[in-house]
Formats: sequence, C-alpha cells, structure tokens
Amino acid sequence: MNLVAHLQCFVAVAEELHFGRAAERLGMAQPPLSQRIQRLERELGVRLFERSSRRVELTVPGRLLLDEAREILARVDRIRSLADRARRGELGALRAGVAADLTGAVVAALIAEFRERCPEVRLDLREIGTAEQIRALAEGALDVGVVRHPCEVRDLCLGPMLGQPVGVLLPSGDPLAAAPEVHLADLAGRDLALFPREESPGPYDELLAACRRHGYDPPAVHEARQPQFAVGLVLAGSAVALTPRPPDASGVTWLPLVGEPLLLRVSCAWRRDSEREHAVSEFTSAATAVLCAKAGMTPLPSAPPRRVVPRPASGFLA
Amino acid sequence: MSGPERGKGAARAGRGRAKERMDGDVERIEAAFRDAGVTGYLHALDVDSGREIGLRSDEPVVLASVFKVPLLVTFFRHVAAGRLDPAAQVTLRPEDRCAGPTGVSALQDEVRMSLRDLACMMITISDNAAADALFAAVGLDAIDATVAELGLRATRVVGTGRDLHEAMLADGGVRDLGELWARLAEPGVLERLRALDPMRTSRSTPREMARLMAMIWRDEAAPPAECAQMRRFFGLQVWPHRLSSGFPYDDVRVSGKTGTLPTIRNEIGVVEYPDGGRYAVAVFTRSPLPAAVLPQADAVIGTSARLAVEALRRPRQRVVHAGA
Repeated sequence: MNLVAHLQCFVAVAEELHFGRAAERLGMAQPPLSQRIQRLERELGVRLFERSSRRVELTVPGRLLLDEAREILARVDRIRSLADRARRGELGALRAGVAADLTGAVVAALIAEFRERCPEVRLDLREIGTAEQIRALAEGALDVGVVRHPCEVRDLCLGPMLGQPVGVLLPSGDPLAAAPEVHLADLAGRDLALFPREESPGPYDELLAACRRHGYDPPAVHEARQPQFAVGLVLAGSAVALTPRPPDASGVTWLPLVGEPLLLRVSCAWRRDSEREHAVSEFTSAATAVLCAKAGMTPLPSAPPRRVVPRPASGFLA
Repeated sequence: MSGPERGKGAARAGRGRAKERMDGDVERIEAAFRDAGVTGYLHALDVDSGREIGLRSDEPVVLASVFKVPLLVTFFRHVAAGRLDPAAQVTLRPEDRCAGPTGVSALQDEVRMSLRDLACMMITISDNAAADALFAAVGLDAIDATVAELGLRATRVVGTGRDLHEAMLADGGVRDLGELWARLAEPGVLERLRALDPMRTSRSTPREMARLMAMIWRDEAAPPAECAQMRRFFGLQVWPHRLSSGFPYDDVRVSGKTGTLPTIRNEIGVVEYPDGGRYAVAVFTRSPLPAAVLPQADAVIGTSARLAVEALRRPRQRVVHAGA
C-alpha cells in the first residue's frame, strides 16, 4: 500500500472532519477517499474515525496517530525539498545578504572568517538592501541577512545589535572641514547625498526626521547606491553626504557630528524556523566579529533612550 | 454585467480588462503604503453593489481600538432585543478606569452616564473607560455571538481595553506606558508584545471589517433604528488625520473608527458622496518605526482609501464588441 498517500487522506479528513470537504481539498472524489480511509484502518487494525450521519469524529487512537502522521508527511515534504535543492546544486550553500556599502576588504574578511568557521558550507553572498532582504527571508529565498534597523522584524530572529555613528563627508576645502566636528544645523542649505530610500526605508525616514529635528532640512536629497557616487557628488561640491566613516579618500574629509545625533544600527536576521541553524549562527558570529573589527561598528548594549511625549491621537487605544 | 448582445468571448475580454485596471489600482495603493513606509492592509466595498477592491484583504490584522466596533454592534443588538436599557445609568469610579488619553479615561472624578452616552464617547473619541464599562454590560460571550451571527469567521475579540493595557505592561516588563514608549526601540521589546501579534490579540481581516461597516450602513447589523444611532456616532468621530484626510471635499461625509497602538494605525469607516455612492473602507497599517508621531503613516490611511474609493467609483469599462 502507498502509506504516504493514505496518511495524506487521513490527515485531510482529521483536519476537516468532513469527508466532502476533505475530498475537495485533496482534489479527489468522496467514494475513493472513504475507501482509502477504510483500507488504512484495516492495515493498521484500528478505527480512526467515528462516523455518524451527522458528523465525523476522531477516535482516541486516531488522535494519537494524527501527530505521527503529520510528522511523517512533513518529513516526506522535507525529503522532496532537499532533493530539489540538491538537484539544483544548492545543498550546502548558505544564502546570505549584505548591504551594497560594505568595502571590498570587509566583504573579503567576512567570507574568509566564515570559511574558517564553516569550511563545509559554501557561502552564497548577495549584495541586497534591507527591504529586499526582509522580503527574501520571508519567502525562504535567503537564509540570513545583515539588515539595517528599524525594519519589519516580525517572525525573524536577530543577532547582536551593532551601531555606527553617522558623520558628514565634506569637500576638504570646505570652511566647515577645518573644525573637529560639525553641528547638523551648520549643513543648512546644502543638498544631501544618502543611501536610497527603497533599500531601507525605515532608517532613511528616521535619519531624515532626525536631520530636520536638529535644524538641517536638506533642499534636495540625492540617492547614492554606491558610496563612490556620494564621494563624487561631495568632491564636485554638489552635496554633502551623511555616512559612517568611509575609508580615507583624497579631496574629501569626514567629520563626526556634535552629540552623535545619528546612528546606523544593523544586526543579522534570520527566520525563526530556519533549517540552517548551525550555518546561520556561524555566519552571525563571523559577520558580527568582522563588522566590529573592520567596519567601525560597536555592539550596542541596548537602544538609545527615547523621550516620547504622549499626544491624544497617538495615545493608548486611540 | 452581461448584456444580452454581448458574446461570451467579449464578456471574458471585458472582465480581463476590468481586472487589469483594478490590478493597476492595487499597485497604486501598494505604492502609497510603500512611500509612507508602512505595510498596509486594505479592503473597500461599494455598500450597495458589493463591488470590491483590496490589498491583503484576508490577512489577519490587529484591531486595536477597532474592537470597539463589534462591541458597539453587540450593545445595540442587546438594546434592540430589549436586553439592555440604553438610558440605564452607570457609575464609573476613577479607581476602576481603564487608562487612555481621552474622555472619561482622562477624568479625575466619579462620573455617571447612560450606556448609550458611554457608547457615544467610545466611538467619537475612543474613550477606553467608556468602552470597558460597555464591555462589562454586554460581556465577551455576547460579542462572540454577534461576530458569529454576522458571519465574521476571522474576527475575534479577546478582551477589554484594560486586559490589553495589562498585557502590554507585563509583556514589556514595564511599570507604565510611558516607560514602554521610551524602551520600544530596544531589540526584542516590540516582538514580545502580544498586543501587536494578530494571532494573540483581538483580530479580524480588512474584508470582514469593511463588511461589518457595510452591514451597519445597510441596516443589517442591527434593526434600522439602532444602525442609525451607530452611524451617527461614527459620523461624529473627531479625528481628522487618517481616513478623513483622504477626502478633503466639503460635500463628502466620512464616518469611522480609528485603532491605535505602538506601530499600529488603523481606521475603518464609510465614505458617502452626494450622488448616493457609499463605500465601506477598512485600512490597517503597521510601521517598522517605533515613533509615536508619524503623520505620513496616518495620512496614507486616507490616501489609500481615496485610491480604493476612486477605483470603485470609476464606471465599469464598457466592452466594445466586434461590429459595434
């Protein structure tokens, strides 16, 4: 007997408690479904359902067998999906996402560190923004990502939160570049170069709101996907860039902002039900170590304290 | 939809084209939510023709204060059945009051008010103390029964405002909501709050909440006299920043009920045009930002509702068949 097919019928009837609905769900007619259940009951030597003219109910042995049957079916699904992935040559690869603004040295160090920790797993590293990483994680197209916060992290697990102060990149000849640090308000009137909003809308909105809050409302925002594009705009005197400290480049000067009003926060993120627990945890350790050692990030003990003045329209259960 | 002169193929092509246009509308609604930085869930329904449009219409959403709508309907069904006297006076003592920013929740002294006036406060200014007093008068079982009788299978009210308040403090490990707001950006805090998880708090779907509003407007949720009283309350709701902001037209009536919790901004309501067109709309949003004040997230509730209502008001595309 094809036990798997029979167990599928059993689970469908047990979940619907209705032969007609179960048959519809399985895409089969009701008489063969009833026959399969009877055959399964004969094979196992127990009655699985009490049937009366008005209702179908699980028997005590039926209830006990239901969990086992579900587990077997889940394992069969897993065998199929593993086989699919093996056929596509994906087995063993860990699919990880990182933002486009990491330097070459950081990317290389991350790959090397992961290789050392997990030599048997191939790292499939992709350059994608936070919003797309969140979508890919939800769809199962990505195993782990390094995301910028705030973002939608429901159903995700997070690694240690890392932070990096944002400063301003100015042309070296700019009068402001002579000071040791800059007030955000001193940037008033200048265009801004910033990472694209579609890559990570949460941090983008939060950063611009903080700029306005501190007296800098940029007349225009130029979205720079590649850090080098932002450097180009700064060199040309078209804009200033708000960015974590980049590698030194001639012609531009990076300065911290007074009071560190802007902070970029990142962490690793993966699905709660990830099947790659070991590799994901090794990647998280590797990424956390490399981002701290080579990308100027530091672990954040907790989020910065916030002052929130309640307003009626946004109050509890308004 | 089908004219006698229209061939089957033409009808099919017409449906395909109409669907294509609706798809374009849904994309615009999705883009509006994206621009506002929120995840949006919407369903809109022509109250009279049943024509509808939606985005994630059947996904479970957190009701927040929108739970006061099934509560209101239950109250008025009790009134209609003679089980509750709407003029009966209730005394609300300050020490048993549910917290909240408005109405009796914000008062310091004892208040005596009729049940129907509590209902008015609950809807027009989202008064939590009034809502919990009304909740106590009708009971959770009665709300369950209403929801079941109206065929709202994905809708479930699990508790009072006070239950929600206590759960938020317990889950957040904080003494009061001020402390919760201050710590909301800490990793893990938002995820721990059951009040923000549709499967563990009062929930519904955009489709079912739009249907509920349509039933109130069609006098089906309760007898006509009671539905009329409910419609009056929704029309008196004070908040201008969400659904109402999307319809800046003096001759259009917007009635609704908001729902608000950290990261959650909702409103369900009905928009009525002077030509008689009336549209039930339910919009639920979730923001990744823990900010309390986020005007663009409030406003997109109005914008998305307007896009949906405009799609429903557009005349159906006429099919020009061969030879016409």
